Amino acid sequence: MAENRDDFIIAIRYALLKKGAKQKFSLFFLIILSISIVTLDKFSLPFMTPVRSVLNDIVYHVSVVSSQPVKLRKYLAHKIEKHYNLMGENEFLKEEMEYLRAQKFNNAYLKSENDMLKSALDFSVQTGFIQDFSVAAKVILDQKSPFLKSLLINKGTKNDIKKGMTVFSKDYLVGTVIETNYLTSRVLLLTDLNSKLPIVIEGTDVNAILDGTGSKLNLKLSYLPENYTIEANKIIFTSGKDGFLTPGIPVAKSYLNNKQKILIKLLSDPDQALIVNITNGQINK
Amino acid sequence: MYYFKAVKEKIFTSLPIIFLYFFSFFHFQIPEVGKINFFAFNFQMILIYFYVLKFPGSLGFGNIFLAGIINDTVIGTPLGTTSLSYLTLSLFTSYIRNATLRSIITIEWFTFIPALFFSNLVYLIIINNFSHMSFYYVELLQNTFFTFLFFPIFHYIFSQYQRLISKD
Repeated sequence: MAENRDDFIIAIRYALLKKGAKQKFSLFFLIILSISIVTLDKFSLPFMTPVRSVLNDIVYHVSVVSSQPVKLRKYLAHKIEKHYNLMGENEFLKEEMEYLRAQKFNNAYLKSENDMLKSALDFSVQTGFIQDFSVAAKVILDQKSPFLKSLLINKGTKNDIKKGMTVFSKDYLVGTVIETNYLTSRVLLLTDLNSKLPIVIEGTDVNAILDGTGSKLNLKLSYLPENYTIEANKIIFTSGKDGFLTPGIPVAKSYLNNKQKILIKLLSDPDQALIVNITNGQINK
Repeated sequence: MYYFKAVKEKIFTSLPIIFLYFFSFFHFQIPEVGKINFFAFNFQMILIYFYVLKFPGSLGFGNIFLAGIINDTVIGTPLGTTSLSYLTLSLFTSYIRNATLRSIITIEWFTFIPALFFSNLVYLIIINNFSHMSFYYVELLQNTFFTFLFFPIFHYIFSQYQRLISKD
């Protein structure tokens, strides 16, 4: 028994302290160093912020370079797929154009009628999205990790990006800025487990929280009223209860899947986001 | 000619380190073919386990530590988490190397289970206590399972590769 314990201690001591001919550091030293780094990072000591920021900028840029071969493969696959779908797409676009042409006249009539009614009721005309801060940024990396669903963008504190700013892709909300460096920032996507957004459901006064689940096609609604079931094809808007985002920004939509189950999907597609718009969240101020 | 041969040899012997850094810088799930992410596994862990077990001189612990730091930076976990996880794996692997006399692939494969368990345990403890991040437990479990499952394939590939470069 004692011999077995001695053997175990000898093997562990040998593994921890023996460096070997080609090893420059012992495992013991590196484990202590790692624990120190984790602790320093946890307590966010003043000197850790610039160190982490510089490290992030360097690593992100090298990471972008190393991801180029895979990006090229994806780009080529996408181009080939697009080429094969061209004929079908052309037919579809022709039909859509005809339909839109017919709708155009109808819309013009409705618009003039709407303006006339508004002026009769003395409603001021809303001007859509007004932002006092808006910066366009390029997505440099989209990481698929088991822990964070996030995007890395090429704008940082140099461009006045701050933590908590909201990020839009093609006019739809995709997430918020959670980490800023001098040249780069990290955007936490709405699909991430850590993302919680106060929302309101179209045509109702039902308030809830939209939780990320890791999938853009299956988000979760928490804190719904008892016995309430959402119907299909309902748009989900921000409720503005967080005091940051203004109410009425379309975020997600309910839909029926193949198994006739009602699910929630994002209106934006974070996987396809190439250029995003960063705002300070005060939309429709 | 001699110089060229020396450079070639250096590149071949450094290839595991190059792979380790490459996968840390570009943290994508293998295989990332189309939309199939079901079989995603952790290549770095297989690489570290194999080389620390069979060829401890090929991957330095310093490189493993640095690759972990890079990985943390790229995926956004607290700095030092992956390093500590990789070093735990290395520690366990070194212990197995010192404690076993005869190496058989089946034993190495099954000792990979506790190695993965302790490594992931350290990861979970740090993430849960040192950050406010939520966890995709199912994805991590799936990832760990496939890392274990694919080990023999990479064991064969790495063994063949090492045999090839030792012949040269």
